[in-house]
Amino acid sequence: MQWFVIFKKELLENWRNLKWIWVPIVFIIFAVMDPITTYYLPKIMDAVGGMPEGAVVDIPMPNANEAMMMSFGELSLLGVLITVVIAMGTISGEMKSGVYELILSKPVKYTHYVSAKFMSIALMVWVSTALAIIAGWYYVALLFGTIDFTKLLTGILFFSLYFALIVSIVLMVNTWFQTPGLVAFISLLLIIILNVATSIYGHILTWSPALISDYIGAYLSTGTLTDELWYSALMALVFSIVCIQFAIITLKNRALQ
Amino acid sequence: MALLEANHLTKTFNNVSVINDVSFSLEHGKCVALLGPNGSGKTTTLRMLAGFIKPTNGSIDFNEESLSKDFRNYVGYLPQFPVFHNWMTGKEFLVYAGQLAHLSKAEAKERADELLELVNLKEVRKLRISKYSGGMKQRLGIAQALIHAPKLIILDEPASALDPIGRREILNLMRELKKDATILYSTHILNDAEEVSDEILLLNEGKVIEQGSMHELESVQNTVTIKLSFSEDPKFIEDRLKEIESVFKVNQVANDYLLTVHDLQVARQQLLDVVNRENWQLTKFEVAKTSLEDLFMKAVKS
Repeated sequence: MQWFVIFKKELLENWRNLKWIWVPIVFIIFAVMDPITTYYLPKIMDAVGGMPEGAVVDIPMPNANEAMMMSFGELSLLGVLITVVIAMGTISGEMKSGVYELILSKPVKYTHYVSAKFMSIALMVWVSTALAIIAGWYYVALLFGTIDFTKLLTGILFFSLYFALIVSIVLMVNTWFQTPGLVAFISLLLIIILNVATSIYGHILTWSPALISDYIGAYLSTGTLTDELWYSALMALVFSIVCIQFAIITLKNRALQ
Repeated sequence: MALLEANHLTKTFNNVSVINDVSFSLEHGKCVALLGPNGSGKTTTLRMLAGFIKPTNGSIDFNEESLSKDFRNYVGYLPQFPVFHNWMTGKEFLVYAGQLAHLSKAEAKERADELLELVNLKEVRKLRISKYSGGMKQRLGIAQALIHAPKLIILDEPASALDPIGRREILNLMRELKKDATILYSTHILNDAEEVSDEILLLNEGKVIEQGSMHELESVQNTVTIKLSFSEDPKFIEDRLKEIESVFKVNQVANDYLLTVHDLQVARQQLLDVVNRENWQLTKFEVAKTSLEDLFMKAVKS
């Protein structure tokens, strides 16, 4: 009951400050940008004057799966950035302004407070990602070739877990600092460390959540769900829960100080 | 029986003790003022009672049966600088606060309407809080503290930042509220404390240095101030006043003389005799109550 009250308030807030409008639009732009520009690249080159005489540049046309992966790739880069930005002040901003003190003077459970915030942001990011991927899929189908829609939906579900992890990391960092800008910076640092570590020690860290979008790509072209995909998804889920728990404990300890 | 007993509260931040062995009890239906200079630990004490921070040592006991351990359920708290979700309307915020305190939506709405009426915000209930003035926000802050009909209302400097009209409104409101709840509030405006509170608790450097009812504190003081006003400064009377045996201190402020006396009966007699005999042009003879300010200054400086 109390959980729902906070959740609904968060949804209303994000509706009134228009996040529910601009976040999906920005995500969709990110997802459709790459497939479209790649398809029209030769024409764009011609229009701006073409290649110099004699230069032979052969730009291979990607296939449908490769084009689809461009959408996933853009979202796991720019989409993550936007997610960090929209979540950076959700707790730290309330602490900084002081409204946190009014809310927490009511018998609000920290678990409810943090998890309702998580769900409201995650829901927005999930909906935006799903809309964006489907928009990307639509343009890929028009320009490159069709991809099975059920496979795509499965891919979206796995991708959502990666975003759940991102939101949880930002929420956890939110409880450490009271400056939203610093929260964004530290969160991005953690996400970059996760990605860099994964690319350096990729042969060991095959379960790293940072590899989810790569595994989704493999799944889209082969059609088989690999164990690695399941495990990295499981890791994303476990890490999300751990981060949220950390956030709750940090807030509780802050009260005990 | 007391509503609340605080026993040996101690609070340290980074090994610096802010509150040091503070004990007191709050009786049902009393309005208690927490006084003290800036930095004396008033806000920290209130935040502990609101359940917002935990004491390092000591305990806070509510003598209420069948209540949950989380005392935020029966405490309403107004911070010193209340901040709201400015994108909400006044009524939305109250309903939200009520629902957080486990009221149903219908109950919260009903209660919000009552309180908006009480704090005189009915006209602006549909306006975004960002458009509210400082006084309106303060009153909304009080309304949100009352939303779940708490047993104890804790107000941190409820009137300090307001203009005289706003202050008057808050004081009148507090007088209403103490009919059915216990109020504990901090202030450094001593006149306010004298006006509405039944008891005071004087803090300095994290310790309770005086506590008791207003009446008790006055008798502890054991002195009364008499004010003599003259139309023009009657020169050379200070020495004459000092000669009167019941007067032990004389202060001159412009044309007024403030006399501190021990025994009012004797002093009044002796003074009026002298005034008559010497034919002083007295315009006003006033027995002033011992002001809290004297007490405050004395206690804090010692």
